[in-house]
Amino acid sequence: MTLPSEAKAARPAFTPPSDARVTLLIARRAALESLRDRATLLSSATFVLLLPILWVLLIIRPTALSGHVPPGDLGSLITIYLLIVGLLPTSAATGVAAGQFAGEKEQGNLAPLLASPASNAAIFGGKVLGAVLPALLYATVAEISYLIEIAVFIGADTLRLLQPALSLAMLALVPAIAIFAAAVAALISSRVRTYQTAQGLASLALMPVFFAFFGLTTQLQSWGALALFGGVVGIALVDIALIAFAAATWRREEVLARR
Amino acid sequence: MISARGLTRRFGSFTAVESLTLDVPDGAILALLGPNGAGKTTTVRMLAGLIAPTEGEASVAGFDIRRDAAAIRARVGLVTDVPGLHEQMALPAYLDFFGAIYGVPRPLRARRIDELITFFDLQEHRRERMAGFSKGMKQKVALARALLHEPLALFLDEPTSGLDPLAARAVRELIVNLKRANRAIVLCTHDLDEAERLADQIAIMSAGAIVRYDAPAALRASSSPETLVRVRLAAPLADAAASLASLASLASLSGVTLIASASEVAAEVAYSTPDPDSVNPDVIARLVAGGARIVSVTCETRALEDIYAEAVGARDGGRPALTAIAG
Repeated sequence: MTLPSEAKAARPAFTPPSDARVTLLIARRAALESLRDRATLLSSATFVLLLPILWVLLIIRPTALSGHVPPGDLGSLITIYLLIVGLLPTSAATGVAAGQFAGEKEQGNLAPLLASPASNAAIFGGKVLGAVLPALLYATVAEISYLIEIAVFIGADTLRLLQPALSLAMLALVPAIAIFAAAVAALISSRVRTYQTAQGLASLALMPVFFAFFGLTTQLQSWGALALFGGVVGIALVDIALIAFAAATWRREEVLARR
Repeated sequence: MISARGLTRRFGSFTAVESLTLDVPDGAILALLGPNGAGKTTTVRMLAGLIAPTEGEASVAGFDIRRDAAAIRARVGLVTDVPGLHEQMALPAYLDFFGAIYGVPRPLRARRIDELITFFDLQEHRRERMAGFSKGMKQKVALARALLHEPLALFLDEPTSGLDPLAARAVRELIVNLKRANRAIVLCTHDLDEAERLADQIAIMSAGAIVRYDAPAALRASSSPETLVRVRLAAPLADAAASLASLASLASLSGVTLIASASEVAAEVAYSTPDPDSVNPDVIARLVAGGARIVSVTCETRALEDIYAEAVGARDGGRPALTAIAG
């Protein structure tokens, strides 16, 4: 049997698409695969559906109904929890990013991508983005479910207590921190041999960072929404620098050579 | 055209490939043979631009593997030792993903994907996730992925591994067609018969180095020119003295080397000779005169397996040492 296209003489190579296009292709594939992964889906469902209900029923509702907390403070509390509720599901991004290089290498499916003309930056960026996108989807669902639960269990009027500028800043912090976590996990994953090592090291590295972020956020919040937006921009710049550094120092030729 | 000069790859203190030199012109197939750990996969990975060499130079399709690795990757097709699929994806989506990365235009990509799925007889599995595919099906997908962008050179690491005989035959025919379409092909295989049938050149690797490198016919010719002859008897020779006398006389024939002496109850006699056409009639006549009833006479020229075994250091692996088998 002959393939029609193989019967003719060799043709010139196709022109590979731009880095941005390849980044998106890789990100979309990784995101879809992680959305299809039942284990990730199950753990994310816990963060997305269960935790917001627990926050609302066990903390916010008793606080709101106690009558001892002024509306302004209750509003701050609800607003701060926007960050926590959004951030917890993004921990899935860390696990996914940790598996992007070391995990795929272990499974043997990294080699075809490394053998393709995709650039280092496109592969690295695509993998970080692919880890973050599903996490952001989960975070969005968690935020929506959090707000709906406040409306259902405490009252729709409570939502009026949310401070708009501060809320926006909190919501903007979620992707900024998620990208940071995914970039760190991917950076570690691209330099170790096994998924377990990548995940262990990423958790170890990110735990204090998360606490630092939370402390910083609380501090910035006390200085106002503008300071918080400044923090978001700062973290976003760190994200870009981190991804650029990771992609620039990553040597694809050494990934499969590591023994 | 694939060309390598003194290509070397070290992993720390371990040398995986040492001073490898080879040439594969367009329209030719080089078979890389060798035991596990001989350096075949590392060689292929270096030539396909996946890992950097420690020393040496190589070019593929006119591009240098150190300076233009990306250009090489855009022009070669690689089937790795494991299929390496994203198994949660369906087959067309998976091929489409790689087709897009290689820059195959969308209409051509769709046509190529259809062609390849049909060629590899995977039409019924278009909608399934590849996680449920058999090993052979996964291997077919890996081959389809490697061919999608119509590469100029192909690196195939065990391409027929896990395939059923008919599928393996189809893949071999495909490889021959690709060669006729002027592709340079490097084929790593443990299947010596496949290597002999397909390859224009065979390189036998051992401990990271090429120990034999030639055309299959030349490899045979350069090794022992002798033919192994086996004479099978209907029954063990009852008269041991007559048998031994007859066999002893064989040794006096010119051009015959008895590999070992026969036992008293020999049911098979084996010897090697560079000239079976003239020697065999005499040998058979003497055996018959000694009372033997001959069932069959078989001649074996030196097989690639023997040359391979000798080259990689297992000199006794291919040829039986026993010449007279007890009945």
